[in-house]
Amino acid sequence: MRKWMYAALAGAVLLTAGCSSDTGGKGQGASGGDGTPKVGVAIYKYDDTFMTGVRNAMQSAAGGKATLDIVDSQNSQPTQNEKVDLFISKKYNAMAINAVDRTAAGVIIDKAQAANIPVVFLNREPMAEDMNKWDKVYYVGAKAEESGTISGQLIVDYWKSHPEADKNGDGKLQYVLLRGEPGHQDAELRSKFSIQAIKDAGIEVEALADDTAMWDRVKGQEKMQAFLAAHGDKIEAVLANNDDMALGAIEALKAAGYFTGDKFIPVVGVDATAPAIQALQDGTLLGTVLNDAKNQGAATVALASVLGKGETPSKENTGYDLIDGKYVWIAYKKITKDNVSEAQ
Amino acid sequence: MNLHVFFKVKDYLMNRAIFVVLVLLVIGIAIADPNFLAFSTLRDILQQSSTRAIIALGAAFILITGGVDLSAGRVVGLTAVISASLLQLDTYANRFFPDLPQLPLWMPIVIGIAAGLVVGLINGIIVAKLHVPPFIATLGTMVAIYGVNSIYFDMDPNNSQPIAGLRKDFTSIGSGSIPLWGDYSIPFIVIIAIAVALICWVIFNKTRLGKNMYAIGGNIQAAHVSGIHVARNIIMIYAIAGALYGLAGVLETARTGGATNNYGNMYELDAIAACVVGGVSTAGGIGTVPGVMAGVLIFGVINYGLTFIGVSAYWQLIIKGLIIVAAVAFDIRKYMAKK
Repeated sequence: MRKWMYAALAGAVLLTAGCSSDTGGKGQGASGGDGTPKVGVAIYKYDDTFMTGVRNAMQSAAGGKATLDIVDSQNSQPTQNEKVDLFISKKYNAMAINAVDRTAAGVIIDKAQAANIPVVFLNREPMAEDMNKWDKVYYVGAKAEESGTISGQLIVDYWKSHPEADKNGDGKLQYVLLRGEPGHQDAELRSKFSIQAIKDAGIEVEALADDTAMWDRVKGQEKMQAFLAAHGDKIEAVLANNDDMALGAIEALKAAGYFTGDKFIPVVGVDATAPAIQALQDGTLLGTVLNDAKNQGAATVALASVLGKGETPSKENTGYDLIDGKYVWIAYKKITKDNVSEAQ
Repeated sequence: MNLHVFFKVKDYLMNRAIFVVLVLLVIGIAIADPNFLAFSTLRDILQQSSTRAIIALGAAFILITGGVDLSAGRVVGLTAVISASLLQLDTYANRFFPDLPQLPLWMPIVIGIAAGLVVGLINGIIVAKLHVPPFIATLGTMVAIYGVNSIYFDMDPNNSQPIAGLRKDFTSIGSGSIPLWGDYSIPFIVIIAIAVALICWVIFNKTRLGKNMYAIGGNIQAAHVSGIHVARNIIMIYAIAGALYGLAGVLETARTGGATNNYGNMYELDAIAACVVGGVSTAGGIGTVPGVMAGVLIFGVINYGLTFIGVSAYWQLIIKGLIIVAAVAFDIRKYMAKK
């Protein structure tokens, strides 16, 4: 009886393996079926919304350029290293790695160099000293500080074109800031550079409140309720490190009577998520910043494909500018009601 | 046929059935992609299974006493961070302890293992002396240890940054290997895992502690009545398991060249799954070292092999889930047969 159960189990395993290898035909063989370079891609985790966007962009950019084998690192650096070992065993022509932990890139580069397989890191930038270890290491990503600068500029644009935004007429911008997780690099940079951008535009600022809402919509709402209770209509702008917190703040503001009639307050976020786009169209969110998944994905594939053919990437063969010969910086985009279609 | 012999044959087959599944898996994957049958594949799978095997052996100790340990993964994370913080290159820019001298290599390793052992002791005392059910006791320590680890990890000047820049003599334990001939080599951590497995086998089969462990798991009242000091044995077993998780955490750091407080998250579930697939009874009293190793290897082959032949990550989860449930279905049958 038990033997039968084991046999049935083993059979099921074999069957699944057999079936899947048919449907997963794209991932077969050490060289691409259509002669394009084979590229092993390890994403830090599959259930990250932004990286899913990048992943999909990579798939659609790959046609005719590269054969991709995309795997999930399950937000675990040890798992990702195992995937890299696998890519090396399969003798892929290039690898694209979205590091789980940016400081772990050094070990991955050592492995790649030993096997002489070029690596393109994406979205999470390895340390400079690791990037300099080997000349076949590249990076595609965005500059986090730029997302802060742009969200600050959104407030500047509004302030300059709407004199009534200075509610108390003191010439100063009284703002509240909702930060992401403390210590998170993006949270620090976005906070710093968004305020910096406002100051750089010659506007005096005063922080009424500056607190963390942990990237979270519910916490964004709760914090905003507290800010409103403390400062009421003295608040002239709301800056959030991401859209979720901005949308939470908007809920709190709605409950306090904002966004009906002419009672308005500029709220800006970062990410251009689908709910944020909806809020832009509804006229509640003033603006957001798009981290350009499409171009991050396309640039990564372009570099990996060129590298996989044994060539050196350049503006001519990838279509992207290479800074210092190894960095491709994808610019963030300012998204408002007027150019909403660019983010959809 | 003599009934006794019949049962012996049946038991024999059942113990081997897990290996049959393993072989069938390998054959199935090799049919899908013959390149799978290479030495480098075997080496990768063994290397990847090494830390998991050590954690699973720790989990097996506790499962056999009739308990369960949910804190395993977080202990791995704790000792990974502790050992990494003590093993950074003195030339590295962002050191956890900027003024720390170069310690002898063994010291941070021993500290890491000792930290795991201390957590194990605490688990054991809570279970044996305070009579808190193991599931709840270790759930509590699992949560609390993550808190402790996060406080340590967030200390100035590190402030929750991943710890990297580790010494080469340390990382070579995780990534280095002993060359055999030509392209063939055997990774250090595989040797360490095999050594740990041998030690565990001796404890399980040749020591009083091992016999007491099976007795306690089989029937705790009977064990008590027959004069076994139940509390002391349970505390020792949890401490040994903790030390094994500690060792695994240190090795995980050596293997990846860095650590964060999120290392080891949910490893306890992989370990428990490997144990039950390898024939350890969640009801206690049953389980062998070779069975646990086979269970770990089955998951190693699934993780590596299914990715190798391009099975999607989602399908891999479904297959793993099916195997776990099927294995526990056996476990329950075994338990009922015993009754």
